[in-house]
Amino acid sequence: MTLPEQYNDSELIAILMSREVRDGEISACGALSQIPATGLLLAKALHAPNAELIILNTVFRPFHTSRQFHFLAQRGELDLFFASGVQIDRRGNYNLHHLGSDPDHPRVRFPGGYGGGLIYYCARRTVVFRTEHTRRSLVERVDFISAAGSSDPNVLRLGNPTKVITPKAIFRFDKEAGSLRLDTIHAPYTLDDIRENTGFDLGVTGPVATTPPPSAEELRALRTVVRPQMIETGTYGTWAEKTLGVV
Amino acid sequence: MGVPYIPVIGLVGTDLLKRRDDMIVAPDPFDGKTLSVVAKAMRPDVAVFHAHKADRAGNISMGYHVDAVMLAEASHHVIVTAEEIVDRLTEKEAVATFIPSILVDTVVHAPFGAHPAGLEGRYRPDREHMQRYVVASRDDASFAEYLQTHVFDVGSHEEYVERFVAQELQSARVA
Repeated sequence: MTLPEQYNDSELIAILMSREVRDGEISACGALSQIPATGLLLAKALHAPNAELIILNTVFRPFHTSRQFHFLAQRGELDLFFASGVQIDRRGNYNLHHLGSDPDHPRVRFPGGYGGGLIYYCARRTVVFRTEHTRRSLVERVDFISAAGSSDPNVLRLGNPTKVITPKAIFRFDKEAGSLRLDTIHAPYTLDDIRENTGFDLGVTGPVATTPPPSAEELRALRTVVRPQMIETGTYGTWAEKTLGVV
Repeated sequence: MGVPYIPVIGLVGTDLLKRRDDMIVAPDPFDGKTLSVVAKAMRPDVAVFHAHKADRAGNISMGYHVDAVMLAEASHHVIVTAEEIVDRLTEKEAVATFIPSILVDTVVHAPFGAHPAGLEGRYRPDREHMQRYVVASRDDASFAEYLQTHVFDVGSHEEYVERFVAQELQSARVA
């Protein structure tokens, strides 16, 4: 008899992200992206052996300049990008700049940057994740829009946000409505848990499915293939050592 | 590149645009209606960066740091500190990342000029020093003290290397 599989939030999110990667496509994540990097490598180990991966500032990058990455995205050749925001709102906007209503006197300042706001328009699909699912992270309106979820039809745009992944649920971006809708809930959470911890209307009209939990095969590959690979290649190696397989 | 402005796909609808006057939303000049951001070119007065190798004429070999080429092209004046200065860069050395002397005003010989950062292929970053730098930069007083010790109270680059680049790092440098 085997016990039910245990896993931590980082492992769960990495596995859910890996399912978004398609074989033969170009998928990327930015700097300081441990969980997306894990998801990308896991997908390559499982169902996407021919995926091209771009993990900035690591050995998994096809080129050495920001110019080449910028124009790859601008040409529309990037199929999938993984991003994160401190706050994410119902309209699919995310904030990576600061908290507080006055930009000149922020309560807290974050790394910011402009890359995410560009790639949100360029990558065919962008999946946003957040390791905290609370009313302070999932809000009705972000304090500062670092990347805009939707735009007018007359604005040149090659791609959109498609999903938001948290430790409790997955939201799907409804392009027509320009807003997020609850898609699936991770066990053991309930619809009431999600409602209580989300700062915006969930857009739910019927029953909500349960997210397929991490499979034994996904956890095995994550811990026995991806973890050593990350340690050996210096791809967030210290993080991988302390996080993956530690429950 | 040197063009006066460049179209950029993205950023429309962000609060970033509200705080910058060098990026605007403008229609495509060909169809007259499709909107995207147009960013004004940056033309720095002076660019300073550290290179693997320079020659007497001011030609520069930059290893992997291809983005420096763009910086040199955009800037009115270019000062390069180099790990090593040779009489003439060979054809082989000039193929990786090459900046022709026509773009360069001044070359300064400065071994360990990237310290406390590292130089790919030559020496690793000085992590201990980086830690001290991060701690020192937390407030103005401690940062002023850092500058006093490491910049203002140092007579020359040779003295800096002697005092602040550990022997172990110096002997591990790849020639």
